[in-house]
Amino acid sequence: MSLSIAGMGWVTALGNGVDAVWERLLRGEEASATPISEQFGDRTYSAFRVPESALTGLAHPRLRRASLISRFAAAAGLEALHAAGVKVNSENAGRIALVFAISNGGVIYTKRFYRDVVETGAQAASPLLFPETVFNAPASHLAAILGVTGITYTVVGDGAVGLLAIRMAEDIMTDKSLDYCLVVGTEEIDWLLCDAYRRWRLLRLEPPIEPFSKQKRGMILSEGAGAIALTRFSGSAEAEGRPIIVEHAHPGGCYAKRAEAEEILKGMLRDLNQTEPDFVISSANGTFIDQAEQRALEQVIPNAITYTAKPALGESVGASGLWQVILGAQALRNGELPPVLHATPNISLRLSLSRMLVPKAHRAIVLSSGVNQQVAGLRLALRANEAERASN
Amino acid sequence: MAQLGSTTGDKTHARVAVVAAGVVSPLGFGLAETLESLRKAKDCVTPVKRFSVAECRCKTAGQVPDDRLADLTRKLRAKRLHRASHMVIHALKEAMTQQPQFEPEMTVIGTTSGGMSYGEHYYRSLRQSGSLRHAPTWIANYPAQKPVIDAQEAVFRSSVPCEVIANACASGTNAIGHAFECVRSGRYQRVLTGGYDALSELVFTGFDSLQASTPEKCRPFDRNRAGMVLGEGAAVLALENLELARQRGAPILAEIVGYGISTDNFHITQPDPSGVGARLAMERALLSARISPEDVDYINAHGTATIFNDAAEGRAIGALFNGAPVSSTKSMMGHSLGAAGAIEAIVCLLALEDQFLPPNINFGTLDDHLDLNIIANESRPAVVRTALSNSFGFGGTNASILMRTVGA
Repeated sequence: MSLSIAGMGWVTALGNGVDAVWERLLRGEEASATPISEQFGDRTYSAFRVPESALTGLAHPRLRRASLISRFAAAAGLEALHAAGVKVNSENAGRIALVFAISNGGVIYTKRFYRDVVETGAQAASPLLFPETVFNAPASHLAAILGVTGITYTVVGDGAVGLLAIRMAEDIMTDKSLDYCLVVGTEEIDWLLCDAYRRWRLLRLEPPIEPFSKQKRGMILSEGAGAIALTRFSGSAEAEGRPIIVEHAHPGGCYAKRAEAEEILKGMLRDLNQTEPDFVISSANGTFIDQAEQRALEQVIPNAITYTAKPALGESVGASGLWQVILGAQALRNGELPPVLHATPNISLRLSLSRMLVPKAHRAIVLSSGVNQQVAGLRLALRANEAERASN
Repeated sequence: MAQLGSTTGDKTHARVAVVAAGVVSPLGFGLAETLESLRKAKDCVTPVKRFSVAECRCKTAGQVPDDRLADLTRKLRAKRLHRASHMVIHALKEAMTQQPQFEPEMTVIGTTSGGMSYGEHYYRSLRQSGSLRHAPTWIANYPAQKPVIDAQEAVFRSSVPCEVIANACASGTNAIGHAFECVRSGRYQRVLTGGYDALSELVFTGFDSLQASTPEKCRPFDRNRAGMVLGEGAAVLALENLELARQRGAPILAEIVGYGISTDNFHITQPDPSGVGARLAMERALLSARISPEDVDYINAHGTATIFNDAAEGRAIGALFNGAPVSSTKSMMGHSLGAAGAIEAIVCLLALEDQFLPPNINFGTLDDHLDLNIIANESRPAVVRTALSNSFGFGGTNASILMRTVGA
């Protein structure tokens, strides 16, 4: 069984809307970093934040008190369903599954809730905030907005979680009574997260993110959401109009020690490389994991063109896997890759250092290597129609 | 039956066996101690000393004693692990002692809060200008997948892909249900599943702020119930294609035969008072198992003892089942959130294996609005061939699984 991408939705620091964000990436634009100050110290961090305009028109009673993470998810999820032409009603409410990918979750309300407990005591704990601290709050808000009554799962993990959620969607869609699975990755940021990642030596205070740099200077966090509506591929490229297929979602792996990441990535790439890809959407974000990805790519697919959007969009952790899949799908559909920003020229990979045409590209590997022990990957394919196949 | 939307259907798929299990909870370490506590209707709820509860209404919880978790901490690395990791390691080791040759293709585990108490240490240290020397350890051990990966590393010494489901209080049952579907569909032959959660101040205070937890005893379905008490623990079940398990001569503890999930969208913290969400989950599990309500011999209810949950769930059970024995074992050990569904699946497993009905303790008089056959205060022997376990959570997420003795 293959799943095809019926619709996509994107909320990023470069704005919202799949085509709009894509155009900006093609032009080589980079999101503007916003300073975030510590509450208890004098350090200032940088983060790529979603502009307010990206959430314009998003109004629903369930979102009135909801945190940004839920709003991002709702915006991306609704865009993906709209693009797929899916309207949820009482007839199909049980035939649409929701799978959410989250890493840090509702950190803004969680911190605020616990701050009140620490500063004022348990009596000050807010019963309104507490439910929003739960990992599945964004999923439950979107389920309520849509009226979905069946499967709703929230999957938690590191930067690999988005692709693991897609693998889960593939498992879920073996149930023939389901028509669609909407997969949403979402994340919000706060100074507390910046501080935590800094103490973990994974964050740098100011851009740029330098992918695959041996210096491993660190990443810049970003917020937003990505969503893809998946349905079963009918087998007819003509009927579906050049669909993008999730040809193989790998179950991923876990590394106990950082040194093991490379071997696990190599094994996964070998599985995914049974049909050679035209390009790779990497998760390089300026941290230690880039070296593992680079060495694995060099050894398994040395000639593949490699792209990473994280220097332009930042590291959105739970949302990042979905962003990568959207990037891969857009590149396959449009036959073009945006430029990799801030990469030094001496990197041994074949990076798309400038806007690059890939007109005959039909397959891409998406690789998500998390910084907290999880890796995942999948292979996308563009199913060409008859005319294209003839011209090729 | 209520309107059935989907999630199951006309499937002729693989049968799914439970071939090994392990558990750590306030009821005890391991299956044997858990069985004994259930048999003896032991009240395992104790005063909370891990953090200050002076300003909370509720002051008790079901807790796993640290001194018994400590036997792993001889190694330096293990000392840094969150106690949730220690619980999962214990549970997984017990299961894999039963089935050392079990090699999972995937792990699916439920949790709600991962290593939350490490997040609390970190925040308090920042706030109070305390020592942040341990901050990298706290941060690295905070994520929800960490205890699962720690346990896999401790037991298998190899990489097993893992999916962590965080569907609030339904997480454990959702994890088992999803793992069950993965094996039943034929895409996997062996999947490790379960759930875990460790008590934390933030979550404890959160439920207290909602006035969902009680200063009194936990009395599920009782007319005088006043709320829940929290708990903690971990449970692991090894699922395998039943035919393959038989071929290799593995002992089969039970069979999982059905799974139902629903989302009721009523309110982020409260169930639909009509019980429609709970009922849909149970009906879908029955449909999935292709059995009727009369076939169910025991129901391990979600039964948190909150006014709203027990009213909605009790109504749904009463409407769907005609007098099947019901208990909420949370009365004995508290509500362990993401672990609850997994621990309660183990309770069902023990009921099936040992042919008894686990009790609903602290029970006085049934809620006037409910019509339930509560297993009041004492366990009792019974013929138990099929057991249903319910878990419902914030966000209107509802899950039910059905287990039965093999050959039933």
